[in-house]
Amino acid sequence: MSQSSPTPQNFAIEDAWKPLPGGFWRIEEAQHFLRRVGFSASPEAVTSALRGSPKAYLQQAFRPDSGMQRSDALKEFTANIHQRYQHIYREVEDEEEKRKLRQEIQREENELFRGFAMDWFYYARQPQQSAREKFVVFLQDIFVVEQNKVRDTELLFSLQQTLREGTTNSYPELCKKISREPAMVRYLDLLQNTARKPNENFARELFELFTLGEGNYTETDIKEAARAFTGYRIKKRREFYQEQRLHDDSKKTIFGETGKWNGDDVVDITFRQPAAKTFLIRELIKFYLTEEVVPEPYIQALGEQWAEHNFSLSYLIETFFQSRLFFHPAYRGNMVKSPLHFYIGLCQDLRIDIAPFEARVLRSMATMGQSFYNPPNVRGWLYGEHWINSTTISARRQLVDYIFAKLDEENLNANEQRDLEAAREAGRGNFLVTQERLQQVLSLAADDLATHLTTYFITAPSRATYRNALQSILGNTQDEGAAKRVRYAIIALLQSPAYNLC
Amino acid sequence: MQNLPLTRREFIRGAGGLGFLAFSGVAPAFLARSAMAQTPAPERDRSILVIIQLAGGNDGLNTVIPFTDDRYYNLRPTLGLKNGLLHLNDDLALHPSCKDLHKLYNDGKISIVQNVGYPNPNRSHFRSTEIWETASDADTFQREGWLGRYFDNDCAGNPEADNINADPTAIHVGDMIPQSYLSEKSHSLFGMKHRGRFDRGNDPADLAYEKLLQADHIEGNASYLQHTMMNTLVTERRVEKIIANYKALSSYPGTKLAQSLKRVAALIHADMETRVYFVSQSGYDTHANQLRNQARLLSELSTAMSAFQKDLNAHKKDDQVLTMTFSEFGRRPAENGSGGTDHGTAAPLFVMGSKVNGGLLGKSPELVSDVKKDLEYSTDFRGVYSSVLDKWLEADSSNILGKQFEPVPFV
Repeated sequence: MSQSSPTPQNFAIEDAWKPLPGGFWRIEEAQHFLRRVGFSASPEAVTSALRGSPKAYLQQAFRPDSGMQRSDALKEFTANIHQRYQHIYREVEDEEEKRKLRQEIQREENELFRGFAMDWFYYARQPQQSAREKFVVFLQDIFVVEQNKVRDTELLFSLQQTLREGTTNSYPELCKKISREPAMVRYLDLLQNTARKPNENFARELFELFTLGEGNYTETDIKEAARAFTGYRIKKRREFYQEQRLHDDSKKTIFGETGKWNGDDVVDITFRQPAAKTFLIRELIKFYLTEEVVPEPYIQALGEQWAEHNFSLSYLIETFFQSRLFFHPAYRGNMVKSPLHFYIGLCQDLRIDIAPFEARVLRSMATMGQSFYNPPNVRGWLYGEHWINSTTISARRQLVDYIFAKLDEENLNANEQRDLEAAREAGRGNFLVTQERLQQVLSLAADDLATHLTTYFITAPSRATYRNALQSILGNTQDEGAAKRVRYAIIALLQSPAYNLC
Repeated sequence: MQNLPLTRREFIRGAGGLGFLAFSGVAPAFLARSAMAQTPAPERDRSILVIIQLAGGNDGLNTVIPFTDDRYYNLRPTLGLKNGLLHLNDDLALHPSCKDLHKLYNDGKISIVQNVGYPNPNRSHFRSTEIWETASDADTFQREGWLGRYFDNDCAGNPEADNINADPTAIHVGDMIPQSYLSEKSHSLFGMKHRGRFDRGNDPADLAYEKLLQADHIEGNASYLQHTMMNTLVTERRVEKIIANYKALSSYPGTKLAQSLKRVAALIHADMETRVYFVSQSGYDTHANQLRNQARLLSELSTAMSAFQKDLNAHKKDDQVLTMTFSEFGRRPAENGSGGTDHGTAAPLFVMGSKVNGGLLGKSPELVSDVKKDLEYSTDFRGVYSSVLDKWLEADSSNILGKQFEPVPFV
């Protein structure tokens, strides 16, 4: 933060959202870009990104493709679940037997969820998927659902896939699709929303958390909108449909517009409100750029452009991430990595795999404060410095220690041994940093190595002081004991304040 | 750094280590306050809880053995234990490896709570551990741990996060914070290793970390991070010093568990304000070769717990400390084909301390000859927690556990 923040006086509004001029696309900028858009800026990634442009990178990273695949176990479970429940409710009479069967389903369900979580980590860990998966995480923090409440892996998967595909959609279209996602229908009580007894939960969050933000709607707007979303149902546990009998077909007045609106109409009306032009942009800034207040005229300017492009998310992504404001030096190097970013980034930075032990990975995420698909509440996670307290910092340090320790194979439980074997077979057994690997960097002299490590792992503001400190820790790299010192130096660097920032 | 600086002058003059911080980017006020603050007078009579996790699922039927029950031997033709049993009463005996625990039992220093579990048991390590640690029902999910909720309710927390002299609310040994500790509010939690050298001022790993922590961070999040990390580091130094200077008054075996407990004893002896400690012993997932493995594990458990209790007694800290074991589940009554047992349900747990009432508590498990059947729990583990919370930690268990559970009268 050596440079002061941009203001319309020193940084023209009309320039803010123009693409970074080609001549400014240099190592520093590429590192900033890669760490913010994805999780890591390895030297290879930087070199490769510099050969192209931010635009080319974004087009590649957000290209439409088939996305993440369901595991076979999930497909099979999903194919049979409706019948299994029918069997329980129609054919089984013994209460005890019913309970047991339901419990068995629940057990499988939990296992599938953890498998999904691990699959996602493996998927997002692949550098070519990272940018879009990070954007999915961003959207998940808008369209929040909690696994604790939904407890249905197929539905959570489906919601996530819709968000992933949504990156090529317009934001209003995405909002409509999300309103039909069974996970959301359940999470925000749309099932309870009927003509006779409207439930306002979804309508409120649509305005407050998805599109407009607090203060940009009235309680009457919510009440009226809730009536438009009546009759949303789910059949066979999976399929969305609209039940006309439960739908309130009478007139509603929302933001001053009167008509027999349905849910999709409400979304369209909402996007005619001025606040809808800037809400998502503010969220984007908070998630990707800075916790500081960005001057309002910049936000308004992008909002107008975005609205003119029919709220296209690809337009927003391309404009935002290659903009001059995004690259402004004041916004570099001061963002606290989220726990997800910290772990996946660590794996990418060190070129290691996600550890194959679900209990370890998932609990470590929970202790760092970001349990997969389980945000604390409907508002999602609070980012930035909220990630940091003595517990979460210890958890981050412990994660680094673990990655540099020897695997205690003796004390793995049977599941873990099985998972370890499976990971090794799948070529994912390289999830710790071995002493042999560290040996490789010893060909460099201490000052070169210190420069290399600081350039590689941390952002510019801390480099100079860290470089000197590292150099003195490393001592003579040809000495006896140098391998150990390299290990300590890297561990310390990865546990340092600077590595927690991007 | 050899010693913690005691005064601000010493702090600033310190030739290395944290001394340099006085000149770094960390807010000077923070330093001055931390260096000058008097260590708060420890409350000497606080009750302390020590949890020992037996990770992997300890086989209960071969821990407390129903040696007069033929069904036990029928279900376990090769695993059923006959020799060297340590009798608890006419029907039940401890595993032959538990000699020290048996002695403590005879002295009335251990209560054995039998057949502890919960309704609709889950047999996944992950999920069942989570259920035990969050004290939830089998079908509800909670992020916060039962002890974390206790911290939220009853511990002032760390309102003054700046006060680096404040002791951690809870300490654990191991490389992962137990879910039991996760809380809504922020509390100071501290994790330590079970062994390691203690002249750590010279340990290059820590020197390296310390050195980087002193780098200039003028402002922004880096300074905030640095600040938080410093607090933790100062605690680490204090803990290390206490442990390094500790003279145990009993002889601890070299096992990981015993060494962990020795460290806990050191911190208790130093009158840290910490109320809860958590240590873990793993390896109980005995699907195969159970006879040998469980014998080793229980022997480690027994000798470690006994050394710990003796040490506390000798230091006259025994009145303050309650030690309790738990495991995510017991194992199947019937043995499997590999000389082991698979994941099961309820199992006994131990509660140790000078203040415990001793004896066998709760109902023994009911064995049936059907090899497919599992044990039906008779004591809900949250009843055990509620007694710990109400009677030992003087908290309000119904508030923390969400409802009232039948207490277990071990204290």
